[in-house]
Amino acid sequence: MSEDSSTGAPDPRGRLTSRILRGGTEPDPRFTLANERTFLAWIRTSLALLAGGVAVEAFMAELLGPELRKTISVLLLVLALVIGGGSFFRWVNVERAMRSKAPMPLPLMAPVLAIGGALVAAIMVVFVIARPA
Amino acid sequence: MASRREAPWHGDAGLQPERTDLAWSRTTLSMVIAAAVFLRWLPHHGWFVGTLVGAAVVTALAINLTQKHRFHRAVRGIKHETMDPHIGSTAAVAASVVVLALLGIYTVLFLPLQP
Repeated sequence: MSEDSSTGAPDPRGRLTSRILRGGTEPDPRFTLANERTFLAWIRTSLALLAGGVAVEAFMAELLGPELRKTISVLLLVLALVIGGGSFFRWVNVERAMRSKAPMPLPLMAPVLAIGGALVAAIMVVFVIARPA
Repeated sequence: MASRREAPWHGDAGLQPERTDLAWSRTTLSMVIAAAVFLRWLPHHGWFVGTLVGAAVVTALAINLTQKHRFHRAVRGIKHETMDPHIGSTAAVAASVVVLALLGIYTVLFLPLQP
């Protein structure tokens, strides 16, 4: 990791920024803003999962047994946790890739979200089919 | 959310600062909706749920109060072709969501349902 300033002057950026985003060259601010919007889209996805997890616990008391309700709710909340936390690391990784002009890292959260969502849906399908009429 | 007095202008036809500003606003709305859904837990899990509602509302307020600052920084960034990323805002919002999820998991697993 080398200091990015070609003039040898101290880094004019904030302390946190210069510590976490070292090296490379300043990316186009448009890309930085696009990265920020993508981060926010992941955060909103996480918030939707969070609200979903709460809703399963709060609104399905008559429909689902306590164990199944707990399982689905915790599954959704864990998914929200992974996506919410992961979104920040993805934001940092993309910012780093842009600074070093490297290819964008693959979004690992996308398959996690897909598999998690499919799992919850599958549990619900099995429940609806198995439920006595 | 630019103030009219300073009239920040930029030459970006892609309207990046505005779109980013709106993305933050949508996130605030999602945060408020999450807080409202948490309220539904109040009769089931008691006062502890208040911490969840409070955390979500405080985060939403904090985003709202710092909107103008981020917008101006984005406009300046577009103008001068270099910009300090909003690392504090992103870290804080992600941390808030993680805390909310952890509190939610704790509520589901360890707080008894009240009749």
